[in-house]
Parts: sequence; C-alpha cells; structure tokens
Amino acid sequence: MRPINPLRARGVYRAPLIPSWILIGGAVVVALIGAYPYYGSNAYVLSLLGKFLCFAIFALSIDLIWGFTGILSLGQAVYFGIGAYFVALSLKINYALTHPTRYGGKIPDFMEWNGLTSLPDFMTPLMNVPFAVICALLVPTLLALLFGVITFKRHIYGVYCAVITLAESLILQDFIIEYQAYTGGFNGITDYSNYVGAPFLWFILAVSVVFFVAARALTHSRVGTVLKSIRDNDLRAEFMGYNVANYRIFVFCVSAFMAATAGALYAAWVGIVSFLDAGPVFSIQAVIWTAVGGRGTIIGPFVGAFLVNGAEFFLSGTLAQWWQIIVGGLFIFVVLVLRDGIVGTIAGWVRKRRKGNFRQFIEESDQKAHDRQRDWDPQGAPRAGEEVR
Amino acid sequence: MTALLEVKGLTTKVSGFTILNNLDFSIEANELRVLLGPNGAGKTTLIAMITGQFKPSAGSIHFGGKDITGWAPDDIFQAGISRKFQVPNMYETLSVFDNVMVSLKGRRRVFSALLQRLTPEEGDRIWGILEFVELADKANDSADALSHGERQWLELGMLIASDPKLLLLDEPTTGMTEEGKHKTAELIRKIARTHTVLLVEHDMHVVRQIGQRITVLHQGQTLADGPLAEVLGNDEVRRVYLGKGKFQ
Repeated sequence: MRPINPLRARGVYRAPLIPSWILIGGAVVVALIGAYPYYGSNAYVLSLLGKFLCFAIFALSIDLIWGFTGILSLGQAVYFGIGAYFVALSLKINYALTHPTRYGGKIPDFMEWNGLTSLPDFMTPLMNVPFAVICALLVPTLLALLFGVITFKRHIYGVYCAVITLAESLILQDFIIEYQAYTGGFNGITDYSNYVGAPFLWFILAVSVVFFVAARALTHSRVGTVLKSIRDNDLRAEFMGYNVANYRIFVFCVSAFMAATAGALYAAWVGIVSFLDAGPVFSIQAVIWTAVGGRGTIIGPFVGAFLVNGAEFFLSGTLAQWWQIIVGGLFIFVVLVLRDGIVGTIAGWVRKRRKGNFRQFIEESDQKAHDRQRDWDPQGAPRAGEEVR
Repeated sequence: MTALLEVKGLTTKVSGFTILNNLDFSIEANELRVLLGPNGAGKTTLIAMITGQFKPSAGSIHFGGKDITGWAPDDIFQAGISRKFQVPNMYETLSVFDNVMVSLKGRRRVFSALLQRLTPEEGDRIWGILEFVELADKANDSADALSHGERQWLELGMLIASDPKLLLLDEPTTGMTEEGKHKTAELIRKIARTHTVLLVEHDMHVVRQIGQRITVLHQGQTLADGPLAEVLGNDEVRRVYLGKGKFQ
C-alpha cells in the first residue's frame, strides 16, 4: 500500500520536481541544441552553443547562492577560472609534449618565453589529464570551503561578503598576470588541442541537464527550504536552531563546484583561457545574466545566459562600441522594472492567472490592503470608543 | 524543585550603560510568567541574553541544569528555548505551511536535512498547528500576504512547531487591534497549558487577561515579583509607572 502523501491529502500545493511543461520544453531545447551538428553547418554557432551552455551552468551556480540563499558573490569567476586554468594547463602541457616549440622545447611556449627550460616539478602531475580534471573540480570547492569558514562562520555576509569576493577575484587576476611563467600571464593559455565538436557538445549538454535537475532537486528539498528561509530572514533561522553558517558554506561549496565544472568544460571546449575568465568583470556579467533570466528560478540562469550572450552575438557586430552600455542599461532596467527577471515575472503572471482572472486579483489585493490597514496599529493603543474592558 | 531557567547576577554593559544590573531571575517548569517594565528596563535585553544574541558582561544563565552562558543561538535553541521577536519575523517568500515546516522540531544539520522528507505525522502536526493559530485556510499563501496580526500568530505557530521547553514571547501583541490582542492572549494561555512561557508584555489588558505571576523589571533589576494583584498594589511599581495611568 502506498503511504498517503501528507501534502496532497490536505491540499498543500507543491510544484513537482520536473513539471511536464519543463520536461517537454526542455526535451525540445536539448534536442535542438544536441542536433545542431546535424542540421547546422556554422562552426562558429556550434562553438557558441557549447560556450553558452558553460555560461549557463556558471550563471546557475550564482543563482544557487544569490537567488536562493541571498549571498551575492561578485567573484564567482574565481572558481570558474581555477577550474578552467587547471584543465587548460594540463591540455597545454600534453600538447607541448607532441608539438615542440620553435626552439625544440617540450614545454608550453609561454614557459619558454619566460625563461623556463623544463616543466616545474609541481606541475608535472598535471600531465595526467584525469588528475588535472579532479583538481579542477576539487580545488575550487575546497577554496570555497575555506572562504566560507573564514567569512560565514564569523557572521560576515551581505555587502561585506560581496566586497570580499570581489577582492578575491581581483587578487586571482593579479596573481595570474604576475606569475606569467606558470599561467601565461596576459596572453592566457591558448594553442592546445581542444574538444570542440559534436560529442563534447553532447557531454556539456548532459552535464547541464544533470546540474539543472540536481539544482531543482536541491532547492525542492528540505535543505532548499531552509536556504530560502535563510535568504528571507537569517536571524529567524538562527533562532530556530539552524546553523546558518553551515548552510551557507554548504551551498557556497556546491555552487563553487558547479562553477568549476563550467570552467573546466569551457577550457576544454573553446581552447583559450585568459585572466579575464577569473576576473571581476566576468563575475559581474554572470550576475547580470542571472538577474535578467530570473534569480530564484532554475530556468532563469539558462534563459539569461542564452539571451544576453545571444543578443551580444547578434548585436555586437553592428553595435560593437555600444554593447557594454546596452548590457549595463539592461541590468538597470531589470533591477528597476523586472525585479524577478524574465522567468520570474512570467511565473508571477502564471500564478496570478491560476488564482483567478485579473479582476478577481485586484479585488483580492484591495481586500488584503484593507485588512492590513485595519490590523496594523502602530501605537497599539485602542482608538476612541474601542476600549475593551 | 529546581528552576527550569535560572539567571544569576546577570550584568550587561553596552558602551558604558548598564542595561542589566546584577539581575537574578528564575522560572519553574510549566509556569506562565509575565515580564513587565517601562521602556529601557531591560526586558528585551534579558531575552537577547537568554537566547545568545548578545553575550553578558557578567553572570550566568542555567537552563535545565546546563550552563548555557555564551552559547551560540542555534545551540541554545537545541537546548530547548524558542524566541518570538517583537516585530513578526518569518520567512516572507515561503508559504505559511513551509514556514511552520521549517520550524518543526527535528534534525537541523545540513547533511541530515538533505534527504529528510515530511512524514505523515509531521504533516498532521503542521495542520494541527495551523488550525490552532487559525491559518489553515491560508496554508498555501506566501507569508508576506498575511496581515500584521496573522503574522504574529504565524510566528507563534512556528514556535509551537519547534516544541521548545521554554517559549520567550517578546510583546507578541504589538501593533494589534484590541480584538487581536484578546485572541492572542487566549492563544498564549492555551500554549501555556503544555509549555513554559515567559511573556514580555506592555499592554495591561493582556496582562490582566493572562493574570499570572508577574515580574517587574526596572533599570535592569527586579523591582517586584508576585501575583498580579500584589504587584499592581505595590507602591514602588506605581511610582515607576506613574504618569502612565495604566493601573487605574
């Protein structure tokens, strides 16, 4: 006998983990992207698709901490960048083994330009690609853990946390430029055999789908409800016995892992990684994608990343010098007018429609406002004629 | 009989001001105690100290035989103390149902919460609580759609859900109509049948309605302690409240 669902039995509305419209719509989108190598011939568009998927995963990682837990990170690219650099370095080292430089060295060309004659000892493990991939995923996650212990355990969050993350990405960016013998400096790491093509596109697609479902499952679980509680009112959650810092650290690590995965995929796909991919500008761009798409929704980051980057692809040819201003203006517009982003706003409309037609909605909200007016009595003092004996 | 909560010599100084001054205070199990005092007497500070929001400058707080002085708020909650804030504090975007669900007594650690599912017993308990605070009809509404009074009751419901040994209620009737205050006082009396409650209250109608043992704080010290009538007849208390006209 199936146990009675305590929620449905008494009419508690719960969105299903994957509603049917997401299942159908998602399948269509996945099929459209996955089949592109068969019906499309434009190699540039193919490369963009993979890139946008990586960006979407990255934006999703920001959505988890910002949209669902209320931690604004302006340095999420640190985790993306570290993941990307590990993979790029490993691929580059392996590429150099079979493609000697002009001077015959079997080390990456940028190392040779900087006076190194052999691969530094601490980098030799990176010759092993699987090891490098593990590092690319684990190092950022552990770094996020360290960051979380340092800040969240000391009750640092909000604006201060945002500033610290921003500083974090500035430091990493400077570090990459400074140690150019090991990181490629300003030029970044390029000229290695990347994996652009149909099979790897499907791999990125599969990872995106897995992360989508995982993020949805996480936010629908009890932990997800607690995370939203912390976003809404961390003080109440703390006095309800939740160790708020631990929850923040947990979601920050999950998010860093996602960002690192996106970075690793990105490096393997596009074949060029630079210090910009770890910098604050890239972090903030991803925050904008999330905001435009709709924070606090799982589809939002995907929509935002594809729309903003797609628009850039179509418009930056003709409006190249205006593009950054357009993105900035878009962000201001979203913050001022579409506070829930595109997906959030549409979801709001749907919810209202479900509750009844527009007229009903207006009446209801009027009633609500009236009730609140009547109930809210700042002085708490009885009005004339209302005294209760 | 030992007291459930025992505060000894509690002193709090904030930038030179002494808010609580060598305060001794205790509550027995299953008691409903009303804490009274003029503005600045230290009522909310006392609650903040007990729940670990601030650390005391001196003195100790024992709860159920354990020394909880200086513990973190979530640990103090685990020990069995729940607190209601003066301004309703809840999770605005969650539904009323989820607000209570998140507050249910249970495991609070991240990894044990990860796979936790709502059991039928818990579901029944939530519905029972929602019916108790008369919010069952609004279970699916988000908390920010509630009126002010309903928010206060929802927070009371959340506290009941956490099933504490001691409830600290900091002016739960603030900003309510007389009707609302009356209903809240009734709720508190019902809660007090099964729980130990410390109620901070300004409103004399509510205090009279509840009419239990009263402790009056003044300038961080206990001024009077005893049954309602005795405390209200105390000259010292009258002097402190003089001009407020609330006791006539």
